[in-house]
Amino acid sequence: MKLETSAKTIIDSFNYNIMTTLEEYLKDRREQEWRVELRKKLKGKERTDIPRVHMPEVDPNERVKYQNMEVNTGLSKEQAIVEASRCMDCANPTCMEGCPVQINIPEFIKNIERNEFGEAAATLKQTSALPAVCGRVCPQEKQCEEKCFYKTKLNKDAVAIGYLERFAADWERESGSISIPECAPSNGIKVATIGSGPSSLSFAGDMIKLGYDVTVFEALHEIGGVLKYGIPEFRLPNSIVDTELENMKQMGVKFEKNFIVGRTASFDQLKEDGFKGFFVGSGAGLPRFMNIPGENYNGIMSSNEYLTRVNLMNASSDEFDTPVLKGKNVAVIGGGNTAMDSVRTAKRLGAERAMIVYRRSRAEMPARVEEVKHAIEEGIEFINLANPLEYYADENGRVNKMRLQHMELGEPDASGRRKPVEVEGLESEIDVDLVVVAVGVSPNPLIPACLPDLKVSKWGTIEVGENMQSSIPVIFAGGDIVRGGATVILAMGDGRNAAKSMHEYLSENN
Amino acid sequence: MANLTTRFFGLDLKSPIIIGSSGLTSSVEKIKMLEKFGAGAVVLKSVFEEEIYAEFEDEFNKQSIGYANQEYLDYFDYEIKNDKVKHYLQLISEAKSSGVKIPIVASINCTSGSDWAFFARKLASAGVDALELNLFVMPSDVERDAQSIRHYYFHTIKKVMAEVSIPVAIKISSYFSDLALMIKDLSETGVAGITLFNRFYNVDIDIDTKELVAAKVLSYPFEYLESLRWIGITSPIAKCNLAASTGVQDYQTAIKMLMAGASAVQVVSGVYKHGYDFIEEMNKSISKWMDANNYENLNDLIGVASSKSVKNPTLYQRVQFMKHFGGFTGSEEE
Repeated sequence: MKLETSAKTIIDSFNYNIMTTLEEYLKDRREQEWRVELRKKLKGKERTDIPRVHMPEVDPNERVKYQNMEVNTGLSKEQAIVEASRCMDCANPTCMEGCPVQINIPEFIKNIERNEFGEAAATLKQTSALPAVCGRVCPQEKQCEEKCFYKTKLNKDAVAIGYLERFAADWERESGSISIPECAPSNGIKVATIGSGPSSLSFAGDMIKLGYDVTVFEALHEIGGVLKYGIPEFRLPNSIVDTELENMKQMGVKFEKNFIVGRTASFDQLKEDGFKGFFVGSGAGLPRFMNIPGENYNGIMSSNEYLTRVNLMNASSDEFDTPVLKGKNVAVIGGGNTAMDSVRTAKRLGAERAMIVYRRSRAEMPARVEEVKHAIEEGIEFINLANPLEYYADENGRVNKMRLQHMELGEPDASGRRKPVEVEGLESEIDVDLVVVAVGVSPNPLIPACLPDLKVSKWGTIEVGENMQSSIPVIFAGGDIVRGGATVILAMGDGRNAAKSMHEYLSENN
Repeated sequence: MANLTTRFFGLDLKSPIIIGSSGLTSSVEKIKMLEKFGAGAVVLKSVFEEEIYAEFEDEFNKQSIGYANQEYLDYFDYEIKNDKVKHYLQLISEAKSSGVKIPIVASINCTSGSDWAFFARKLASAGVDALELNLFVMPSDVERDAQSIRHYYFHTIKKVMAEVSIPVAIKISSYFSDLALMIKDLSETGVAGITLFNRFYNVDIDIDTKELVAAKVLSYPFEYLESLRWIGITSPIAKCNLAASTGVQDYQTAIKMLMAGASAVQVVSGVYKHGYDFIEEMNKSISKWMDANNYENLNDLIGVASSKSVKNPTLYQRVQFMKHFGGFTGSEEE
């Protein structure tokens, strides 16, 4: 992302009327006396000689016993300060180019280095509604850390930006002195978000700061969208999300649970109730399957169902009346974070053999590197270069076996990754009693189905312009419902972009 | 009036004129028109595996604006594949429920092993009357020997036939070093017909821009000769029906193909050039010619000039002009 295009976004997050450039702003911040002094504290080589910090974690044998025990325990103050001192406070912070919400990365890190953790958290919150979440689930190695000076120029491990982000956000929460961002006086204009996932929350956070009357409508009984139903607690504890939500409530955001826009109330009814603008962040909740023989047998389910049941409906506990099937030999099809979440959940629910079946090699897996590392530590079995061809079932219709086609890597496809190609005649069978299909999701069709004038792509995603405005002017959209699939931080970037655009639109049309 | 019924795809056809896989068969309305004007069967537009990858590339490029999400795109080829099948199945089901009586044949063009099986299964379950495998390996890869290509053909046919119970026919090219033996062996796999030959997209050069461009899409009438020769040579040895394709643009050519041993002909360019009337005209003219030449049934005509039936079958084998060229002035072709 070019800095010019980022400028407005970051500046707008402070004050939508300040006219300056991002470069000037960053330069001014960098020239603050304390940062100049801090840079002098250590020589460049002293900084670059420091090895990257290791994230402390719970022992794998212990953590696999609990679905809600977070794996990473977080950096200590001392570790965070040492890691922060690795950051060179570059004049041209390329790391920011890799951040979809343009966090002022050097500023928050330097605040950690000088022991001003609250300031670090405040810096994060200027542009990110969910720093504690992003510090845990963002694929930093493919975003900010990939653009880090250490990585691009020194060929060394990047500064652990994600770990530091988490540290600052956690410190603030644990300190009990959470700062609530200032909001403009209320303008009385009602706006709604449909869905309560990261794009909606990011949108809501920015709109409330601008003085709007914001209501978040959520179809489920819990707020948080994919952060709650999709990501297991061993990776993102619900309490972390709840704290972020509490902050938003204190800022004035209203939350309506069990409310399906389009069913509980129509758009027209909401308009009659005074809502002037809508942000659709209804996500991608429609599971995809592979359409292969036997996929409808009992014991084969989508990762959506599996994870939602466990994460949101206490299905892992026998005391609840919505249990989930448990298996001894569990195969999870896919190589993304959802697949890792599913297979690690299966392990925690007692699987003797919890397997990833993925048609490419391990190097091509889209999952975060850390999730793969944790999965390996926890004894997850990786069956790479294999793809299911067919499932078989016992006399009760419960899956008991799967046939795999073995693959090799061929020419690269459009993504640059080598395409999996069948090794002719090389097939095998393995015993399974539970299969979780984690091969992606499609956009939730409900909102497009309610609005015939809403332009959608052939894949069901809502079509929007660069300003996230849809074909219906009062409706903006972002996140998975627009992109088909987005990372948390990318969805948040959409939410911010939409907030800015809707603010401009409503300012001109009200 | 002569009886034009014949057999191909393991099915009885009321006419030997089959509409080949093309845009002509892409909607229910078109299929109904083709039936109305007397087509014996229609082969639906192929499901091309390479189209799936092209579409994947488009989607990837769209997604890559900003930050690509590999997880979303990781299995997106399945999404595209399922979407293609969905539309194909819809066409089949709508055509069947609209009262189309002539056989509807689905065509598949894949390169990878599992996709052949996937598409075959889905299309068969949708109620098509037969499958046509558009089988072709471009023999341009110097790393791949003839044995491996040969294996690909037989392995694919076996795999698809194991998946479905409806008739499976194949459409092949002439790019084989042992073409007659290949056709004979292919005909013994249990396929319900072999069509000779597929007409491919061809490449040309624009001498002004010096760039490669697509050659003309429609066939020329003279292109029928290669198919005619090989139908003539192989129809007596093939264990299944053969159909002729490429360059069949008038009734005379159709009759020649039938005489050489084809049980049916596939036409596309003729309909594109002359409209639906072309089919009606072909049927009428073939019938009239048969009446005039005392052929009551098409079966009586099929193969009367095959390599087994003619006095001098070696003419089918001749490739050099020899004496003919010695006295050739060019005026004979005008």
